[in-house]
Amino acid sequence: MIEVRLFATFREGRQKVYEMEAEGLAKASDVLDVLQIPCEEVAIFLINGRHSSLDDSIRDGDVLAVFPPVGGG
Amino acid sequence: MTKRYQRQEKILQIGAEGQKRLAKSKVTVIGAGGLGSPVLTYLAEAGVGKIRLIDFDTVGITNLNRQFLYTEKDLGRKKTDAAREKLELLNPEVRVEAVCAELNEENAEELTGEADAVVSCLDSISARLIVNEVCLRRNIPLVEGGISGFYGFVMCVKREGPCLECLGYDRSMDRSSIPALGAVSGVVGSLQAAECLKILLGTGRPLYGRMIQYDGINGSFDEIAVKRNENCRLHRRAMAGAQRG
Repeated sequence: MIEVRLFATFREGRQKVYEMEAEGLAKASDVLDVLQIPCEEVAIFLINGRHSSLDDSIRDGDVLAVFPPVGGG
Repeated sequence: MTKRYQRQEKILQIGAEGQKRLAKSKVTVIGAGGLGSPVLTYLAEAGVGKIRLIDFDTVGITNLNRQFLYTEKDLGRKKTDAAREKLELLNPEVRVEAVCAELNEENAEELTGEADAVVSCLDSISARLIVNEVCLRRNIPLVEGGISGFYGFVMCVKREGPCLECLGYDRSMDRSSIPALGAVSGVVGSLQAAECLKILLGTGRPLYGRMIQYDGINGSFDEIAVKRNENCRLHRRAMAGAQRG
């Protein structure tokens, strides 16, 4: 299983946290496809707290965190 | 010390010694807008001895839904002038140095000045990254915060820990006219002020390597542990710059 934690506006119309079977999810962008989050809207993407590419592969037990831009002052 | 600080001196982590420490502290606040309003107000009220505030803008009507340092009487004035005036009224014991300038790569180091901490209240990712790099190079703790609509984040940066670029921030994320609500700027700016005061006092656990995300829609806070990126360009450049001198 992997855990996907969504933040800010990505939570709107979705859950805060999803648990998914890692099987069938070759790379991070596949997770976003499942959740219908356009890749170009993602500002920060962390796998286990570390900045990662949407092309990175996913492993069982990974925790993903997905953020839109939150940079206003 | 005056009676002004009587209530906060009762706080175990502050006391009379902590209050003296705050009075000797220097903080640079970059941006005197939605986040800058609560940050500057609470740092001045807490008795931080010297506050340098930097902003290039003038007060506009669209600022007044959230930037409580200003009123309609301030429309058209430089934010630095109006903010300094207000802060000096709030606490005449604090020295406020207001610099009306737009921060860029050339002037960032000079504008940041000699500070014990820097608080970033900017509305541009590009400028945030410049401040981030200067703070890494000069080894000055940085308190970051940002908002968008009902959401916001706060995080502290130091040389040994993860920074904004480690998180994946880059200039392509810059957006114009980000949705902003005063109450949310207030939450995030207040958290930034509290983190800054902790750093100045040398107390508690500042948010180094941890990011707090505020979700005003669900009324919740989340803490996310973040790690340093060993390939971070800003860390590499900052360390090279620090070694050069």
